[in-house]
Amino acid sequence: MRVLLVEDDLDMAESLKASLAADSHDVDHAGDGELGENMALNGGYDVIVLDRMLPKKQGVAIVRDLRGKGVSTPVLILSALHDEDHRIEGLNAGANDYLGKPFSTRELLARVRSLWHGRDLGPATRLQVGDLEMDLLARTVKRDGKKLDLQPREFRLLEYLMRHAGQTVTRKMLLENVWDYHFDPQTNVIDVHISRLRSKIDRDFAQTLLHTVRGSGYRLEG
Amino acid sequence: MRPRLDALLRTTTFRLALVQAGVVLAFVVAMLVYVYFATVGQLIRDSNVLADQEYATLERAYAEGGMRRLNQEVVERAARQGPFLYVLAESNGTVVTGDFQELPTAPAETTPERVDFSFEREDESGAQVRGRASGRVGRLINGPILLVARDLGDSAVIAGRITQVLWTVAIVGLVVSVVSGLLAATQAARRAEALSNTAREVMSGDLTRRAPVRGVGDEFDELAVAMNAMLDRLERLMHTTRTAGDAIAHDLRSPLTRFRQKLENALEAPPDSEADREALRKAVDEADRLLGMFAAVLKLARVETASNWKLHRVDASEILRELAEFYEPAAEEQGLKLRAEVQDGLVVRGEHGLFTQAVSNLIENALKYTPTGGNVEVRALRRPDGRIEIDVLDDGPGVPPAERDRVLERFVRLETARSTPGVGLGLSLVAAVARLHQGGLHLRDGLPNGEKTGLGAALVLPAAAA
Repeated sequence: MRVLLVEDDLDMAESLKASLAADSHDVDHAGDGELGENMALNGGYDVIVLDRMLPKKQGVAIVRDLRGKGVSTPVLILSALHDEDHRIEGLNAGANDYLGKPFSTRELLARVRSLWHGRDLGPATRLQVGDLEMDLLARTVKRDGKKLDLQPREFRLLEYLMRHAGQTVTRKMLLENVWDYHFDPQTNVIDVHISRLRSKIDRDFAQTLLHTVRGSGYRLEG
Repeated sequence: MRPRLDALLRTTTFRLALVQAGVVLAFVVAMLVYVYFATVGQLIRDSNVLADQEYATLERAYAEGGMRRLNQEVVERAARQGPFLYVLAESNGTVVTGDFQELPTAPAETTPERVDFSFEREDESGAQVRGRASGRVGRLINGPILLVARDLGDSAVIAGRITQVLWTVAIVGLVVSVVSGLLAATQAARRAEALSNTAREVMSGDLTRRAPVRGVGDEFDELAVAMNAMLDRLERLMHTTRTAGDAIAHDLRSPLTRFRQKLENALEAPPDSEADREALRKAVDEADRLLGMFAAVLKLARVETASNWKLHRVDASEILRELAEFYEPAAEEQGLKLRAEVQDGLVVRGEHGLFTQAVSNLIENALKYTPTGGNVEVRALRRPDGRIEIDVLDDGPGVPPAERDRVLERFVRLETARSTPGVGLGLSLVAAVARLHQGGLHLRDGLPNGEKTGLGAALVLPAAAA
């Protein structure tokens, strides 16, 4: 995957570049907003990782202009400003995801992958991972042909995991996308929700679908 | 400390006193003029009319009988006991006959004119008194001078006395108003001085100083009370900042020290990839803890100081039910029962993210301190006063009433809570969010727990306008 990283803090940029490269991406780096925008217009990147506060041109303005020029490359904004207002401003400008600083490298890698994969998913009516099937219209879930009884929230949790099947999904991503919560719960609430879901979809079957990725989150994989 | 005179002269009160003295003076002068004309003036006018008639009678006698007749008339009339005074003089001013040896005023040239003079006379007991008379003097045909006047008598004396009294009153009034103005100004200057002294002492670092309140409820008392309230708040803030500083230093130093130690130990030990990785993992955990603390401090500071939060209609009922549903599995995992009893249609005017976080802090707090087997309840209702109350109650160990205010302060963690993870900012943030929403956070008794009672946190917020 070709990733453009626009970040003016060179230490930070070096370290992110190394992490993205280790996750087998090709990374180009721009140190200011104008250069970043030019590269984004001409570079044919798969994902753009954009700092919010940049010299010469601010991240939010860059996204707005890229979208105005018809560039639909997924954009992830990184920012030390991550109150609801700031996040909404970034997303309204056309960014696909918004990650507050400080963040963990794993969180960033998981989100970059999810942006790329999520791109091609159209409005599906059926999702399938291994022998697990979800019918989005009838709102039913079957595994190996047997109907599973899920609560509405468990259904949404599973839907998110299935849409990102094969990718690592962090707790923060689940929190933001399934519950729309933008704070860090002090307790292991997400883990308990996952383990409840797991007991419904995995307990009676030989093959485990929902895996824990140590230190990162979870991955649903057939 | 005595205020200096020039400082005194500059005070508002003294200036007001001066203005007041001027007004008193002007009023008294006007009174004097009025009283003078109403008494003495009237007397003189009345007696002049009579003196003029008398003069006219004598003028006629002169015209009819010449100088001899006039002389006779004047002698006769002067001899009578009466209010009239007469003088007849030759054209050169030599007195021929009359009540005086000399003309009391210079003779008139041609036309008769008004005279008004003082003279010595004997009263009934024979004592010399000063009298006052008013009348007319004029030259008759061929030159003799005739003066006819009326003694104004005792009424003139009384009118003079009144005038004198009025003058005395005017001067005394002037002195009194200046002196009282000075006194009031001194008093005001002293009290203002006391206030500014307090302010100076506080500025020089003694935050415990308070302005004196005399208890008479005047403007200075009001000012002093307001100033003291401000100083109380300032002192509390300073205290909080100081304890917060100490707490940050303390709470940040420990994880930082552990962080450093883990890295140093790994460096010192012989290379061992497995142990090194473990050390790095732990170092990252410590760094996360530190970052979490910074984030919490910053968030609290933003909620407390920023004014650009936008408040909207927030569906509290829905958020509360979702939060209860969100935390329910974790509660069950801990062996706790989490119940929600939420009225429908509760809409607060608030900031969605902050409101959600505030309630989640209360629920997490309750879950954290309630031992296995306990209960946590989330209740929400519209109060009779229209505000919306969200209660999070537990049957855990509770907080003694005396400590309840303190746990809302920043970084305050009760001794019993030292062993549990946390920064001591959770409730402070809820309290700050409540203040931002013009609401309040109150800690009370929670659910009964044998003889004791758990903790109940009540978040009271204004409802959104319909």
